[in-house]
Amino acid sequence: MRRFPRIAAVLAGIFAAAVLTGSGLAAEAIKGAAPTDPALIEKIRKSNAECIACHTEAALKAPPRADMDLEKLKTALMDPALFDKSNHAGMECKLCHGQGYVPYPHDPGARRLISACTECHAQKSMRIEMQFDASVHAKNLKDKFTCQTCHDPHVYKVAQKIGDPHQIVAQDNAMCLDCHNSDLRFAELGVTMTPRKARPDIDKIHDWLPNTKAHWESVRCIECHTPVSPTKSLAMSHEIVAKDKAEKNCVTCHSQKTALRTRLYRHVAETEAAQYGFVNSAVMGSAYVIGATRNSYVDQAALVLIGLTVAGLAGHGLLRLVLAFIRRRRSS
Amino acid sequence: MSHRIFLLPLWLRLWHWSNALLIIILTVTGASLHFADPDLTLVPFRLAQRIHDIAGLALVALYGFFVIANIISGNWWQYVPKPGGFAHRCLVQTRFYLWGIFRGETHPYPPTAEANFNALQQIVYWFVMYFFMPILLLTGLLFLWPQWAPKQMFGVDGLLPIAMLHYLVGLVIVLFMIAHIYLGTTGVKVTSLFKMMITGWHED
Repeated sequence: MRRFPRIAAVLAGIFAAAVLTGSGLAAEAIKGAAPTDPALIEKIRKSNAECIACHTEAALKAPPRADMDLEKLKTALMDPALFDKSNHAGMECKLCHGQGYVPYPHDPGARRLISACTECHAQKSMRIEMQFDASVHAKNLKDKFTCQTCHDPHVYKVAQKIGDPHQIVAQDNAMCLDCHNSDLRFAELGVTMTPRKARPDIDKIHDWLPNTKAHWESVRCIECHTPVSPTKSLAMSHEIVAKDKAEKNCVTCHSQKTALRTRLYRHVAETEAAQYGFVNSAVMGSAYVIGATRNSYVDQAALVLIGLTVAGLAGHGLLRLVLAFIRRRRSS
Repeated sequence: MSHRIFLLPLWLRLWHWSNALLIIILTVTGASLHFADPDLTLVPFRLAQRIHDIAGLALVALYGFFVIANIISGNWWQYVPKPGGFAHRCLVQTRFYLWGIFRGETHPYPPTAEANFNALQQIVYWFVMYFFMPILLLTGLLFLWPQWAPKQMFGVDGLLPIAMLHYLVGLVIVLFMIAHIYLGTTGVKVTSLFKMMITGWHED
């Protein structure tokens, strides 16, 4: 696994990006934007088809060549359907994997030449690296933990492009649970940790959370396991925190000023329901969050109704008292 | 000399005060959850949630007891509005609360062993106990087990309309409770009806 980028590498990445941005063609490749030129699309499709011919489950079951190392191939499979929906859809395999994988057998040193994420995502990784360095993953796993430990570049899609909060939750929580709900994967990554840590039962350590399953289907692990950002435009922090620092205050989300607005729902626009007094109308389309998704008009009407009832009855009682007092005085 | 009749058996009085206690607990914790605010805490959210769940389940059980005990004892008949001038009796009772009570008039329909409630009590208690309470309890149970709630309703999360209904019916019950406590002071003496609810004996 490649070491998580150092500042120098990141700066080099920014420099390379800046130089290449000078030509429009290079800019498109660097940013990973899907090409629009039909000839280029066809060229990429043909080039990728050569890789996909071997690196899929189907090819593993019916190998196209007799001289293939199937055990090795097992560790290098991808799903073309998922790739086509991912952030990197439309990119040529060679853009990241380099020329070393073009001939077969592949060049033994090809792995070393795979591009680091920072080569394209230089600016973003500047911010992310500082957050990551403070995370529990960096402290416990150090160099064993890379971007790809969580973000499979053949599958991953950023939240903004997914849009639907339920799908964002499903994708992002699967990244955490891949390790935190698998003894095998947890042990693989934690092998260098001293003392060795046994994987805690994910259900047991969250049993304080009411309706745990409903929470896991509706919000991401990172809503509680990353620090709150007060700014809606900032992406989620990569400072994943352990239980001692994780959010445990329910009202951070369960209130009118819910943090969900700057987290899971930051890409979802407020709906027209907001015009009718619904607070956090962006959230209510996909989740009911007690304390957060409510109607301010109904709340005000309820309080006025209670106030009027109490005032009316108090007035009634007071009048009864005064008139009873007058009657008593008259009769005496 | 005052006239005494025994109206309220022990089970009914125990049910009434347990019900009252649970409704007050559920009102306070329910308001703490609905109006949750980091700057203004009535009962802390986690504690309120736990208490509301337990008290809610206890209320479901107590309501079940109320229905069964009413059937067995025949007390359910007290809640049924009787024909033959029911609207007139409601009007007379309303006039008493809005006018006669200020002039020191006596209750137009004092309770008897056969007719414990006046016409207004009958209609209001019937609606509260057999219409609003079941809605409150059913929506509360759906809150507790949200997997049984519809996924979507009216283009929003299915739990939202259920939550709104739970909240509005809860509001009706709270308004009833406030009025009910106040009307408890309208006996011969301010304390007479509260005393009756403890001893079971009505005195006039």
